Amino acid sequence: MKNLIKKELSHYLNNPLGYIVIVLFGIFANLFFVKDLFLIGSASLRPFFLLLPWLLLVFIPSITMRSFSEEKKNNTIEVLLTLPYSETQIVLAKFFAILIIITIALSLTLSLPLSLLFLTKIYLPEVLVGYVGVLFLGASFSALSLFFSSQTKNQVISFLLSTIILFFILILGSDFLASYLPRLIQEFFVPFSFFYHFNNFTKGVLDFRSLFYFCSFIFLFLFLTILVLEKRN
Amino acid sequence: MILLSSVSKFFGQKKAVDNISFKTKGGEIIGFLGPNGAGKTTTMRLILGYLKPSSGKISIGEFDPIENRIEVLKQVGYLPENNPLYLEMKVKEYLNFIAQAKNDNQWQKVAIDVGLGDVLLKKIEELSRGFKQRVGLAAALIGNPKYLILDEPTSGLDPLEQEKIRFLIKKLGQKKTIIFSTHILSEAEAVANRLIIIHKGKIVYDGKKPKEKGGVEKLFKLKVKNQN
Repeated sequence: MKNLIKKELSHYLNNPLGYIVIVLFGIFANLFFVKDLFLIGSASLRPFFLLLPWLLLVFIPSITMRSFSEEKKNNTIEVLLTLPYSETQIVLAKFFAILIIITIALSLTLSLPLSLLFLTKIYLPEVLVGYVGVLFLGASFSALSLFFSSQTKNQVISFLLSTIILFFILILGSDFLASYLPRLIQEFFVPFSFFYHFNNFTKGVLDFRSLFYFCSFIFLFLFLTILVLEKRN
Repeated sequence: MILLSSVSKFFGQKKAVDNISFKTKGGEIIGFLGPNGAGKTTTMRLILGYLKPSSGKISIGEFDPIENRIEVLKQVGYLPENNPLYLEMKVKEYLNFIAQAKNDNQWQKVAIDVGLGDVLLKKIEELSRGFKQRVGLAAALIGNPKYLILDEPTSGLDPLEQEKIRFLIKKLGQKKTIIFSTHILSEAEAVANRLIIIHKGKIVYDGKKPKEKGGVEKLFKLKVKNQN
Protein backbone atom coordinates (compact mmCIF):
# COMPACT_ATOMS: atom_id res chain seq x y z
CA MET A 1 0.00 0.00 0.00
CA LYS A 2 3.01 2.30 0.48
CA ASN A 3 3.45 2.18 -3.30
CA LEU A 4 -0.14 3.35 -3.82
CA ILE A 5 0.19 6.17 -1.27
CA LYS A 6 3.43 7.31 -2.92
CA LYS A 7 1.72 7.36 -6.31
CA GLU A 8 -1.21 9.37 -4.94
CA LEU A 9 1.10 11.88 -3.26
CA SER A 10 3.20 12.32 -6.39
CA HIS A 11 -0.06 12.89 -8.32
CA TYR A 12 -0.93 15.82 -6.02
CA LEU A 13 2.54 17.21 -5.52
CA ASN A 14 3.71 16.96 -9.15
CA ASN A 15 0.92 19.30 -10.07
CA PRO A 16 1.40 23.07 -9.50
CA LEU A 17 -2.30 23.31 -8.59
CA GLY A 18 -1.65 21.08 -5.56
CA TYR A 19 0.95 23.52 -4.22
CA ILE A 20 -1.23 26.55 -4.98
CA VAL A 21 -4.16 25.12 -3.01
CA ILE A 22 -1.96 24.23 -0.03
CA VAL A 23 -0.26 27.63 0.03
CA LEU A 24 -3.59 29.47 -0.34
CA PHE A 25 -4.96 27.50 2.59
CA GLY A 26 -1.93 28.50 4.68
CA ILE A 27 -2.24 32.16 3.68
CA PHE A 28 -5.95 32.44 4.42
CA ALA A 29 -5.72 30.50 7.69
CA ASN A 30 -2.96 32.78 8.95
CA LEU A 31 -4.60 35.94 7.62
CA PHE A 32 -8.07 35.44 9.08
CA PHE A 33 -6.67 34.69 12.51
CA VAL A 34 -4.02 37.39 12.64
CA LYS A 35 -6.27 40.22 11.43
CA ASP A 36 -8.43 40.01 14.59
CA LEU A 37 -5.80 38.78 17.06
CA PHE A 38 -5.20 42.07 18.86
CA LEU A 39 -8.90 42.98 18.77
CA ILE A 40 -9.76 39.78 20.63
CA GLY A 41 -6.99 40.51 23.12
CA SER A 42 -6.64 36.90 24.19
CA ALA A 43 -3.76 34.50 23.60
CA SER A 44 -5.97 31.65 22.56
CA LEU A 45 -6.11 29.74 19.33
CA ARG A 46 -9.76 28.91 19.82
CA PRO A 47 -10.98 31.52 17.28
CA PHE A 48 -8.48 30.06 14.81
CA PHE A 49 -9.73 26.51 15.34
CA LEU A 50 -13.35 27.67 15.02
CA LEU A 51 -12.49 29.28 11.71
CA LEU A 52 -10.72 26.24 10.26
CA PRO A 53 -13.81 24.10 9.45
CA TRP A 54 -14.96 26.79 6.99
CA LEU A 55 -11.58 26.80 5.27
CA LEU A 56 -11.45 23.00 5.21
CA LEU A 57 -14.97 23.03 3.72
CA VAL A 58 -13.47 24.41 0.50
CA PHE A 59 -9.91 23.10 0.77
CA ILE A 60 -10.64 19.40 1.20
CA PRO A 61 -13.22 18.93 -1.59
CA SER A 62 -10.83 20.80 -3.90
CA ILE A 63 -8.05 18.27 -3.27
CA THR A 64 -10.25 15.17 -3.16
CA MET A 65 -12.43 15.97 -6.18
CA ARG A 66 -9.81 14.47 -8.50
CA SER A 67 -9.29 11.28 -6.46
CA PHE A 68 -11.75 9.02 -8.20
CA SER A 69 -13.49 11.38 -10.61
CA GLU A 70 -10.36 11.97 -12.67
CA GLU A 71 -9.46 8.26 -12.62
CA LYS A 72 -12.96 7.38 -13.86
CA LYS A 73 -12.88 10.08 -16.54
CA ASN A 74 -9.46 9.02 -17.85
CA ASN A 75 -10.27 5.33 -17.29
CA THR A 76 -7.11 4.85 -15.24
CA ILE A 77 -9.46 3.32 -12.65
CA GLU A 78 -9.33 0.22 -14.86
CA VAL A 79 -5.52 0.18 -14.55
CA LEU A 80 -5.80 0.48 -10.77
CA LEU A 81 -8.47 -2.19 -10.40
CA THR A 82 -6.59 -4.67 -12.59
CA LEU A 83 -3.44 -4.46 -10.46
CA PRO A 84 -3.13 -6.87 -7.53
CA TYR A 85 -4.57 -4.40 -5.04
CA SER A 86 -7.87 -4.80 -3.24
CA GLU A 87 -10.53 -2.10 -3.38
CA THR A 88 -9.90 -1.49 0.33
CA GLN A 89 -6.20 -0.85 -0.27
CA ILE A 90 -6.96 1.57 -3.10
CA VAL A 91 -9.47 3.59 -1.04
CA LEU A 92 -7.27 3.64 2.07
CA ALA A 93 -4.23 4.71 0.04
CA LYS A 94 -6.14 7.67 -1.41
CA PHE A 95 -7.47 8.54 2.06
CA PHE A 96 -4.05 8.46 3.73
CA ALA A 97 -2.50 10.46 0.90
CA ILE A 98 -5.12 13.18 1.44
CA LEU A 99 -4.45 13.10 5.21
CA ILE A 100 -0.77 13.68 4.51
CA ILE A 101 -1.65 16.67 2.29
CA ILE A 102 -3.90 18.05 5.08
CA THR A 103 -1.08 17.61 7.59
CA ILE A 104 1.31 19.49 5.28
CA ALA A 105 -1.23 22.30 4.92
CA LEU A 106 -1.84 22.46 8.68
CA SER A 107 1.89 22.62 9.31
CA LEU A 108 1.80 26.00 7.53
CA THR A 109 -0.37 27.25 10.40
CA LEU A 110 2.12 26.24 13.10
CA SER A 111 3.55 29.73 12.81
CA LEU A 112 0.52 30.95 14.78
CA PRO A 113 1.02 29.07 18.05
CA LEU A 114 4.80 29.53 17.70
CA SER A 115 4.37 33.29 17.34
CA LEU A 116 2.03 33.43 20.32
CA LEU A 117 4.54 31.39 22.33
CA PHE A 118 7.10 34.17 21.78
CA LEU A 119 4.64 36.91 22.80
CA THR A 120 3.00 35.32 25.84
CA LYS A 121 2.14 32.10 27.60
CA ILE A 122 -0.22 29.75 25.84
CA TYR A 123 -1.72 26.51 27.12
CA LEU A 124 0.00 23.94 24.88
CA PRO A 125 -2.29 20.95 25.60
CA GLU A 126 -5.22 23.08 24.39
CA VAL A 127 -3.34 23.78 21.16
CA LEU A 128 -2.37 20.12 20.68
CA VAL A 129 -5.90 18.86 21.29
CA GLY A 130 -7.18 21.56 18.96
CA TYR A 131 -4.95 20.31 16.16
CA VAL A 132 -5.98 16.71 16.86
CA GLY A 133 -9.58 17.83 16.48
CA VAL A 134 -8.78 19.54 13.19
CA LEU A 135 -7.11 16.39 11.89
CA PHE A 136 -10.12 14.26 12.79
CA LEU A 137 -12.43 16.85 11.24
CA GLY A 138 -10.27 16.94 8.11
CA ALA A 139 -10.26 13.15 7.95
CA SER A 140 -14.07 13.12 8.19
CA PHE A 141 -14.36 15.71 5.42
CA SER A 142 -11.92 13.66 3.31
CA ALA A 143 -13.84 10.40 3.76
CA LEU A 144 -17.11 12.02 2.68
CA SER A 145 -15.48 13.87 -0.23
CA LEU A 146 -13.80 10.64 -1.41
CA PHE A 147 -17.20 8.97 -1.42
CA PHE A 148 -18.69 11.67 -3.62
CA SER A 149 -15.65 11.61 -5.89
CA SER A 150 -16.29 7.88 -6.42
CA GLN A 151 -19.85 8.65 -7.54
CA THR A 152 -19.08 10.76 -10.59
CA LYS A 153 -16.62 11.33 -13.44
CA ASN A 154 -17.14 15.08 -13.15
CA GLN A 155 -14.78 16.82 -10.72
CA VAL A 156 -16.97 19.90 -10.43
CA ILE A 157 -19.99 17.83 -9.41
CA SER A 158 -17.82 15.95 -6.92
CA PHE A 159 -16.61 19.27 -5.46
CA LEU A 160 -20.09 20.79 -5.26
CA LEU A 161 -21.76 17.71 -3.75
CA SER A 162 -19.04 17.38 -1.11
CA THR A 163 -19.08 21.07 -0.23
CA ILE A 164 -22.87 21.30 0.01
CA ILE A 165 -23.32 18.16 2.11
CA LEU A 166 -20.41 19.10 4.40
CA PHE A 167 -21.89 22.58 4.80
CA PHE A 168 -25.21 21.14 5.95
CA ILE A 169 -23.58 18.78 8.41
CA LEU A 170 -21.49 21.68 9.72
CA ILE A 171 -24.49 23.90 10.38
CA LEU A 172 -26.60 21.16 11.99
CA GLY A 173 -27.15 22.23 15.55
CA SER A 174 -26.03 25.79 14.83
CA ASP A 175 -27.97 28.82 16.08
CA PHE A 176 -28.71 29.70 12.47
CA LEU A 177 -30.60 26.45 11.85
CA ALA A 178 -32.10 26.47 15.35
CA SER A 179 -34.14 29.51 14.44
CA TYR A 180 -35.84 27.56 11.63
CA LEU A 181 -36.25 24.05 13.03
CA PRO A 182 -38.65 22.82 15.76
CA ARG A 183 -36.81 22.19 19.02
CA LEU A 184 -37.39 18.42 18.96
CA ILE A 185 -35.88 18.02 15.48
CA GLN A 186 -33.04 20.35 16.35
CA GLU A 187 -32.19 18.30 19.45
CA PHE A 188 -32.21 15.13 17.36
CA PHE A 189 -29.75 16.51 14.80
CA VAL A 190 -27.36 18.34 17.13
CA PRO A 191 -25.35 15.22 18.13
CA PHE A 192 -24.72 14.54 14.43
CA SER A 193 -23.25 17.97 13.83
CA PHE A 194 -19.51 18.41 13.26
CA PHE A 195 -19.40 21.57 15.37
CA TYR A 196 -21.07 19.89 18.34
CA HIS A 197 -18.15 17.44 18.55
CA PHE A 198 -15.41 19.69 17.26
CA ASN A 199 -16.16 22.39 19.88
CA ASN A 200 -14.81 20.15 22.62
CA PHE A 201 -11.47 19.89 20.86
CA THR A 202 -11.23 23.68 20.47
CA LYS A 203 -11.59 23.99 24.25
CA GLY A 204 -8.74 21.52 24.74
CA VAL A 205 -11.06 18.71 25.83
CA LEU A 206 -10.35 15.25 24.43
CA ASP A 207 -13.86 13.82 24.54
CA PHE A 208 -13.87 10.13 23.57
CA ARG A 209 -17.51 10.33 22.49
CA SER A 210 -16.47 12.92 19.92
CA LEU A 211 -13.51 10.78 18.85
CA PHE A 212 -15.95 7.88 18.42
CA TYR A 213 -18.25 10.12 16.34
CA PHE A 214 -15.45 11.14 13.98
CA CYS A 215 -14.06 7.59 13.70
CA SER A 216 -17.56 6.24 12.93
CA PHE A 217 -18.12 8.93 10.33
CA ILE A 218 -14.77 8.18 8.67
CA PHE A 219 -15.39 4.44 8.76
CA LEU A 220 -18.91 4.80 7.31
CA PHE A 221 -17.87 6.83 4.28
CA LEU A 222 -14.71 4.84 3.57
CA PHE A 223 -16.80 1.67 3.76
CA LEU A 224 -19.36 3.14 1.36
CA THR A 225 -16.58 4.16 -1.03
CA ILE A 226 -15.15 0.63 -0.96
CA LEU A 227 -18.65 -0.72 -1.66
CA VAL A 228 -19.02 1.62 -4.64
CA LEU A 229 -15.77 0.27 -6.11
CA GLU A 230 -16.74 -3.34 -5.42
CA LYS A 231 -20.17 -2.90 -6.99
CA ARG A 232 -18.72 -1.38 -10.15
CA ASN A 233 -20.67 -3.79 -12.33
CA MET B 1 -5.69 -22.51 -18.44
CA ILE B 2 -8.40 -19.88 -18.78
CA LEU B 3 -11.84 -21.44 -18.64
CA LEU B 4 -15.16 -19.74 -19.32
CA SER B 5 -18.25 -21.87 -18.86
CA SER B 6 -21.68 -20.59 -19.93
CA VAL B 7 -20.81 -17.04 -19.02
CA SER B 8 -23.33 -14.28 -19.54
CA LYS B 9 -23.26 -10.63 -18.60
CA PHE B 10 -26.20 -8.26 -18.45
CA PHE B 11 -26.01 -4.48 -18.17
CA GLY B 12 -29.56 -3.75 -17.11
CA GLN B 13 -31.72 -5.36 -19.77
CA LYS B 14 -28.92 -5.51 -22.33
CA LYS B 15 -27.14 -8.83 -22.76
CA ALA B 16 -23.53 -7.92 -23.52
CA VAL B 17 -22.18 -11.47 -23.31
CA ASP B 18 -24.48 -14.38 -24.05
CA ASN B 19 -23.67 -17.83 -22.73
CA ILE B 20 -20.08 -18.06 -23.94
CA SER B 21 -17.74 -20.93 -23.21
CA PHE B 22 -14.15 -21.51 -24.18
CA LYS B 23 -10.95 -22.93 -22.78
CA THR B 24 -7.35 -21.97 -23.53
CA LYS B 25 -4.31 -24.20 -23.88
CA GLY B 26 -0.72 -23.27 -23.11
CA GLY B 27 1.18 -21.27 -25.74
CA GLU B 28 -1.94 -20.26 -27.70
CA ILE B 29 -2.29 -16.86 -29.30
CA ILE B 30 -6.02 -16.36 -29.51
CA GLY B 31 -7.35 -13.67 -31.79
CA PHE B 32 -10.61 -12.43 -30.34
CA LEU B 33 -12.45 -11.00 -33.31
CA GLY B 34 -15.68 -9.16 -33.57
CA PRO B 35 -17.32 -5.95 -34.72
CA ASN B 36 -17.60 -2.96 -32.36
CA GLY B 37 -19.94 -3.69 -29.48
CA ALA B 38 -19.70 -7.46 -29.96
CA GLY B 39 -18.66 -8.12 -26.36
CA LYS B 40 -14.88 -8.54 -26.70
CA THR B 41 -13.90 -5.96 -24.08
CA THR B 42 -16.64 -7.10 -21.70
CA THR B 43 -15.40 -10.69 -21.96
CA MET B 44 -11.85 -9.61 -21.21
CA ARG B 45 -12.99 -7.60 -18.20
CA LEU B 46 -14.93 -10.62 -16.96
CA ILE B 47 -11.81 -12.80 -17.20
CA LEU B 48 -9.89 -10.30 -15.07
CA GLY B 49 -12.59 -10.00 -12.44
CA TYR B 50 -12.97 -6.30 -13.24
CA LEU B 51 -16.60 -7.16 -13.98
CA LYS B 52 -18.66 -9.87 -12.33
CA PRO B 53 -20.53 -12.30 -14.58
CA SER B 54 -24.32 -12.37 -14.31
CA SER B 55 -24.14 -16.13 -14.66
CA GLY B 56 -21.63 -18.85 -15.47
CA LYS B 57 -18.21 -19.69 -14.20
CA ILE B 58 -14.74 -18.39 -14.98
CA SER B 59 -11.42 -19.74 -13.77
CA ILE B 60 -7.82 -18.74 -14.39
CA GLY B 61 -5.69 -21.69 -13.37
CA GLU B 62 -7.42 -22.84 -10.20
CA PHE B 63 -8.64 -19.36 -9.24
CA ASP B 64 -11.96 -17.63 -9.62
CA PRO B 65 -11.39 -14.00 -10.68
CA ILE B 66 -14.08 -12.74 -8.28
CA GLU B 67 -13.32 -14.88 -5.21
CA ASN B 68 -9.53 -14.78 -5.71
CA ARG B 69 -9.16 -11.52 -7.58
CA ILE B 70 -5.67 -10.69 -6.30
CA GLU B 71 -4.29 -14.16 -7.14
CA VAL B 72 -5.68 -13.94 -10.66
CA LEU B 73 -4.28 -10.44 -11.20
CA LYS B 74 -0.80 -11.67 -10.23
CA GLN B 75 -0.92 -14.14 -13.12
CA VAL B 76 -2.45 -11.95 -15.79
CA GLY B 77 -0.97 -9.00 -17.65
CA TYR B 78 -3.59 -6.67 -19.11
CA LEU B 79 -3.53 -3.94 -21.71
CA PRO B 80 -6.91 -2.16 -21.49
CA GLU B 81 -8.80 -0.71 -24.43
CA ASN B 82 -7.48 2.76 -25.38
CA ASN B 83 -4.46 2.16 -23.12
CA PRO B 84 -5.25 4.50 -20.17
CA LEU B 85 -2.07 5.79 -18.55
CA TYR B 86 -1.08 8.26 -15.83
CA LEU B 87 0.12 10.88 -18.29
CA GLU B 88 1.73 13.15 -15.71
CA MET B 89 4.11 10.40 -14.61
CA LYS B 90 7.48 9.69 -16.16
CA VAL B 91 7.82 6.33 -17.94
CA LYS B 92 10.31 5.14 -15.32
CA GLU B 93 8.01 6.22 -12.46
CA TYR B 94 4.97 4.51 -13.98
CA LEU B 95 6.73 1.23 -14.73
CA ASN B 96 8.29 1.24 -11.26
CA PHE B 97 4.81 1.75 -9.75
CA ILE B 98 3.46 -1.21 -11.74
CA ALA B 99 6.50 -3.31 -10.83
CA GLN B 100 6.07 -2.62 -7.12
CA ALA B 101 2.39 -3.54 -7.39
CA LYS B 102 3.34 -6.85 -8.98
CA ASN B 103 6.38 -7.43 -6.75
CA ASP B 104 8.84 -7.49 -9.60
CA ASN B 105 12.16 -5.62 -9.74
CA GLN B 106 13.02 -6.60 -13.32
CA TRP B 107 11.00 -3.86 -14.97
CA GLN B 108 14.06 -2.27 -16.59
CA LYS B 109 14.63 -5.41 -18.67
CA VAL B 110 11.00 -5.40 -19.81
CA ALA B 111 11.27 -1.71 -20.70
CA ILE B 112 14.35 -2.36 -22.86
CA ASP B 113 12.81 -5.42 -24.53
CA VAL B 114 9.79 -3.35 -25.52
CA GLY B 115 11.99 -0.52 -26.83
CA LEU B 116 11.50 2.08 -24.10
CA GLY B 117 15.16 2.37 -23.10
CA ASP B 118 15.59 5.89 -24.52
CA VAL B 119 12.39 7.40 -23.14
CA LEU B 120 12.43 6.27 -19.49
CA LEU B 121 12.96 9.80 -18.18
CA LYS B 122 10.27 11.36 -20.35
CA LYS B 123 6.76 12.14 -19.16
CA ILE B 124 4.21 9.77 -20.67
CA GLU B 125 2.19 12.72 -22.05
CA GLU B 126 5.21 13.72 -24.15
CA LEU B 127 5.40 10.37 -25.94
CA SER B 128 4.01 9.52 -29.35
CA ARG B 129 1.01 7.20 -29.57
CA GLY B 130 3.24 4.30 -30.53
CA PHE B 131 5.48 4.76 -27.52
CA LYS B 132 2.49 5.16 -25.20
CA GLN B 133 1.23 1.82 -26.49
CA ARG B 134 4.62 0.31 -25.69
CA VAL B 135 4.37 1.68 -22.16
CA GLY B 136 1.00 -0.02 -21.77
CA LEU B 137 2.42 -3.25 -23.17
CA ALA B 138 5.47 -3.06 -20.88
CA ALA B 139 3.13 -2.58 -17.91
CA ALA B 140 1.22 -5.70 -18.96
CA LEU B 141 4.47 -7.70 -19.24
CA ILE B 142 5.91 -6.70 -15.87
CA GLY B 143 5.75 -9.55 -13.37
CA ASN B 144 6.24 -12.15 -16.13
CA PRO B 145 2.54 -13.10 -16.16
CA LYS B 146 1.44 -16.50 -17.50
CA TYR B 147 -1.44 -14.96 -19.39
CA LEU B 148 -1.64 -11.78 -21.43
CA ILE B 149 -4.91 -10.11 -22.25
CA LEU B 150 -4.47 -7.33 -24.78
CA ASP B 151 -7.45 -5.25 -25.83
CA GLU B 152 -6.81 -3.87 -29.32
CA PRO B 153 -3.05 -3.65 -28.83
CA THR B 154 -2.37 -1.96 -32.18
CA SER B 155 -5.28 0.45 -32.12
CA GLY B 156 -4.42 3.88 -33.57
CA LEU B 157 -0.86 2.94 -34.51
CA ASP B 158 0.77 3.48 -37.90
CA PRO B 159 1.47 0.37 -40.02
CA LEU B 160 5.13 0.23 -38.99
CA GLU B 161 4.33 0.35 -35.28
CA GLN B 162 1.55 -2.18 -35.77
CA GLU B 163 4.05 -4.56 -37.36
CA LYS B 164 6.45 -4.13 -34.43
CA ILE B 165 3.75 -4.83 -31.84
CA ARG B 166 2.52 -7.87 -33.80
CA PHE B 167 6.06 -9.23 -33.96
CA LEU B 168 6.38 -8.76 -30.19
CA ILE B 169 3.08 -10.55 -29.55
CA LYS B 170 4.16 -13.50 -31.71
CA LYS B 171 7.45 -13.71 -29.85
CA LEU B 172 5.72 -13.59 -26.45
CA GLY B 173 3.20 -16.23 -27.57
CA GLN B 174 5.97 -18.83 -27.57
CA LYS B 175 5.95 -18.81 -23.77
CA LYS B 176 2.63 -17.32 -22.73
CA THR B 177 -1.06 -17.74 -23.41
CA ILE B 178 -2.23 -14.59 -25.14
CA ILE B 179 -5.73 -13.37 -25.85
CA PHE B 180 -5.78 -10.25 -27.97
CA SER B 181 -8.83 -8.55 -29.37
CA THR B 182 -8.99 -6.79 -32.68
CA HIS B 183 -11.40 -5.84 -35.37
CA ILE B 184 -8.56 -5.78 -37.94
CA LEU B 185 -8.90 -9.11 -39.70
CA SER B 186 -5.41 -9.03 -41.23
CA GLU B 187 -3.95 -8.64 -37.77
CA ALA B 188 -5.69 -11.78 -36.55
CA GLU B 189 -4.48 -13.55 -39.66
CA ALA B 190 -0.89 -12.46 -39.08
CA VAL B 191 -0.59 -13.15 -35.37
CA ALA B 192 -3.15 -15.63 -34.01
CA ASN B 193 -3.05 -19.40 -34.18
CA ARG B 194 -6.63 -19.73 -32.93
CA LEU B 195 -9.64 -17.56 -33.61
CA ILE B 196 -12.67 -16.82 -31.52
CA ILE B 197 -15.23 -14.73 -33.36
CA ILE B 198 -17.80 -13.03 -31.20
CA HIS B 199 -20.89 -11.24 -32.45
CA LYS B 200 -23.77 -9.75 -30.45
CA GLY B 201 -22.32 -11.34 -27.33
CA LYS B 202 -22.24 -14.88 -28.72
CA ILE B 203 -19.30 -16.96 -29.95
CA VAL B 204 -19.98 -17.74 -33.59
CA TYR B 205 -16.66 -19.45 -34.31
CA ASP B 206 -13.97 -21.00 -32.17
CA GLY B 207 -11.24 -22.88 -33.95
CA LYS B 208 -8.06 -22.85 -35.95
CA LYS B 209 -7.18 -19.97 -38.21
CA PRO B 210 -7.97 -20.81 -41.89
CA LYS B 211 -4.77 -21.65 -43.76
CA GLU B 212 -5.52 -19.90 -47.05
CA LYS B 213 -4.70 -16.22 -47.44
CA GLY B 214 -7.75 -14.03 -46.83
CA GLY B 215 -9.42 -16.97 -45.11
CA VAL B 216 -9.99 -15.04 -41.90
CA GLU B 217 -11.90 -12.31 -43.70
CA LYS B 218 -14.10 -14.85 -45.53
CA LEU B 219 -14.76 -16.75 -42.33
CA PHE B 220 -15.56 -13.56 -40.39
CA LYS B 221 -17.98 -12.28 -43.01
CA LEU B 222 -19.68 -15.66 -43.23
CA LYS B 223 -20.11 -16.08 -39.49
CA VAL B 224 -21.20 -12.52 -38.79
CA LYS B 225 -23.59 -12.48 -41.77
CA ASN B 226 -25.13 -15.80 -40.65
CA GLN B 227 -25.67 -14.39 -37.18
CA ASN B 228 -27.36 -11.31 -38.61
